[in-house]
Amino acid sequence: MKLLLIPLLPFAGFVINGLVGRRLGRAFVSVVGCGLPLVSFALALLSFRELSAGGTPLVEVVYTWAAFGGQPFEVAFQFDRLSAVMTLIVTGIGSLIHVYSTGYMKDDPGYGRYFAYLNLFLFFMLLLVLGKSLLVLFTGWEGVGLASYLLIGFWFEDADKARAGKKAFITNRVGDAGFLLGMFLLYQAVGTLDMQAIDAAFASGSPPAVSASLVGILLFIGACGKSAQIPLHVWLPDAMAGPTPVSALIHAATMVTAGVYMTARLSPIYVLAADASHVIATVGAATAFFAATVAIAQNDIKKVLAYSTISQLGFMFVAIGVGAYGVAIFHLYTHAFFKACLFLGAGSVIHAMSGEQDVRKMGGLARRIPVTFVTFAIATAAIAGIPPLAGFFSKDEILWFALGSASGGSPLLFAVMAVTALLTAFYMFRLLWLTFFGAPRMSAEASHHVHESPASMTGVLVVLAVGSAVGGFLSIPHYLEPMFALPALKEGVESLEHPVVYLSVAIALTGLAGAWHVFGDLRRAEALRARFAAVYGVLAAKYYVDELYDALLARPLTWISKKVFLDLGDRALIDGTLDGMARLARRTAGVLARVQTGQLQLYLLLALAGVVGSLWWTSHV
Amino acid sequence: MDKTQLLVVVGGLLFSIGLAGIVVRRNALVMLMCMELMLNGVNLTLVSFAQRTATSEGAVLVFLVFVVAGAEIAIAIPILLLLARARKTLDVQAYAELKG
Amino acid sequence: MIETALLYFFAAASVGSAVAMLLARHPMRVALALVTAMLSLAGIYALLGMHAIAVFQVLIYVGAVMVFMVYVIMLIDTRDRAFARFGKFALPGGIGLVALAFVFGYALAGDEAPAARSRDFGVQAFSEAFLNEYWLYFELVSVLLVAAVVAAIAVVKTAGTRRG
Repeated sequence: MKLLLIPLLPFAGFVINGLVGRRLGRAFVSVVGCGLPLVSFALALLSFRELSAGGTPLVEVVYTWAAFGGQPFEVAFQFDRLSAVMTLIVTGIGSLIHVYSTGYMKDDPGYGRYFAYLNLFLFFMLLLVLGKSLLVLFTGWEGVGLASYLLIGFWFEDADKARAGKKAFITNRVGDAGFLLGMFLLYQAVGTLDMQAIDAAFASGSPPAVSASLVGILLFIGACGKSAQIPLHVWLPDAMAGPTPVSALIHAATMVTAGVYMTARLSPIYVLAADASHVIATVGAATAFFAATVAIAQNDIKKVLAYSTISQLGFMFVAIGVGAYGVAIFHLYTHAFFKACLFLGAGSVIHAMSGEQDVRKMGGLARRIPVTFVTFAIATAAIAGIPPLAGFFSKDEILWFALGSASGGSPLLFAVMAVTALLTAFYMFRLLWLTFFGAPRMSAEASHHVHESPASMTGVLVVLAVGSAVGGFLSIPHYLEPMFALPALKEGVESLEHPVVYLSVAIALTGLAGAWHVFGDLRRAEALRARFAAVYGVLAAKYYVDELYDALLARPLTWISKKVFLDLGDRALIDGTLDGMARLARRTAGVLARVQTGQLQLYLLLALAGVVGSLWWTSHV
Repeated sequence: MDKTQLLVVVGGLLFSIGLAGIVVRRNALVMLMCMELMLNGVNLTLVSFAQRTATSEGAVLVFLVFVVAGAEIAIAIPILLLLARARKTLDVQAYAELKG
Repeated sequence: MIETALLYFFAAASVGSAVAMLLARHPMRVALALVTAMLSLAGIYALLGMHAIAVFQVLIYVGAVMVFMVYVIMLIDTRDRAFARFGKFALPGGIGLVALAFVFGYALAGDEAPAARSRDFGVQAFSEAFLNEYWLYFELVSVLLVAAVVAAIAVVKTAGTRRG
């Protein structure tokens, strides 16, 4: 019952707030909207205690949906170590963000709707991480896509924001096609969608008769869509059109990590599929590097963080690709803390700046919004990888396995990831400097309105900053080792372990120093930009990927829809056929109506002809 | 040729001529008279068969046809006269109001 | 012998006057042709030995129907004489006539007639049959005639009221 309640309570919140929220006032919506996720968090803690005491994963079968073929399709939940980590992250950080939202969305007329959607998202995300079979996972998968669409397009009166929601949903669906194909193959090969059974089948000595690489790649395509890897990453920057807490919860901490969770959960497939793992590592590395380069040239505070999320997700997939599944989840965990803190901090800055999101118009905010500044700085240091903050531990592990893992590690991969880490530190500190330091570049009126956010917002920021600081000491890979063994190392690399650690620290500090040097004095930044103007232009335009997609996909499709299907198929063929039939009927009727001349003699003539005919026929036949 | 056969053929001819006359002629009264001719043609065949089979039903039926013809003409002519008065002409082509 | 000749003569007369009906212009001439046809038919009936029927033919058809018709023709406006004999369907009608006649001839000429018998068709025999076995039809015919009279009066009355 406990596991069922964990997703069900937010769902109840969705129903209640959705139906009667508007009528019962803001206080009611806040209590229900934040309270129920907090209760879920408590239940998750209880389940965690039970898991730790017992040692075996908790399983709850709720409902048999269908039974045909060999195995029945059940709606069942499981709570093992991986699910425990994910559930605690989702409910914990989720509840915090709910509390933050009470302050951020205070003046929004759609307050009740917002919390309803947010609870709906929690419900689906919990289905995703607690589900025992791919069926429940996929239901949650699609559901979070729906909630994401609803929340990105929350202010749907603005056409651009609504379009961003649509873009997110459609791009996700493209990935889901791959996911579905992978599920079909799995069902055909293994006979069931139960993930425990699938893992057991692939981990056993005799794997099922299906190409593990094919399944792995298809499932990874789904993960690309949900976790914004190349080439399906285009929706995440546009998704910043939604409210900032939504960006924090969905597009930083939880939903986008669903892809990482899914591939980690089905790790036995990837252990067998070396080709698929290589593909994952390559795509992850390329995405991480590419997104980091774009982030350097973005001027919207949320877009920088969006590309940063894409880049960090690339890190996680690199870890998956080299077989370090526990490490990927570790990075997921630390990333949830510091990225949520960064996004919520950005929300606080935007709140203070009365809606301004362009960092070129900020500056000098450090003393004026101190709590936001300190928490933002801690989170920035965490993502840059400065020890002993959380990000250092997880990123260092990833770099180590990128170099040394026997199943895919290579110096090239390590080099790419190291450069990306350097870029990460650089652009994050750039963001910090441009936002909080230097002379203020805002208008006098905006400067007048700058104020610290209310306690509901700053309190959450403090909690998350603390998490970013000390969270790294909780060794998740170690905790998950019974499920995901750490990959074997190549020969001769053990000696490089300490040098890699020093290199990570050096990278982080170099990034900090570089950003300080370039952006401490903005004239140097301008000079640098002028020297590399062409490169800067390409980066600022995000490598023109959106324009490419528009030209390659959107415009031909629209052309085909208009010219072929609308003009030709619908108007000419279908309408034409119907109109043609109507015209034919009318013309035939017109011709036939000539018989009715009203002249009696014509009728008699026709009768005469009939008589002649019938007589002829009967007498001659 | 046998008597009955001849008379039956003549009856058929009279019928056909009457029917053609209705189709061909333009005067309404002439049309009526052609109808009478048709009726006579039918009557002729009836009489010839009645005579041949020598049943009393045949004669009775012939008589009934007479009566019906008389009743018919008694109604048809007043109707036709009214029509002619309304349209001011006996030309049947002027009566073509129920055009399709 | 003479009977056969007379039969052929009357048959030809009836067909000839029928054709004359088609071709005459004045309605009066058409009526007289029809009278001739009817009289020829009466002759044929008499030659067949059905005297009562022949008498009825003359009495009812010529004496009542055609007289009525002639009255009407005399009463109508002869200015209508101006228009042509034939309507639009002259040619198709003619073709139809030929076709129908041909089909009739073909269909009727080949069959065999039923077996010949003889009977007395005098008035007495006729009336006895009529009023004994077929009295129902007699009554029905009376009703029909009454209905015709009522209808004729109704038509006349309507005409009268319409004219004011």
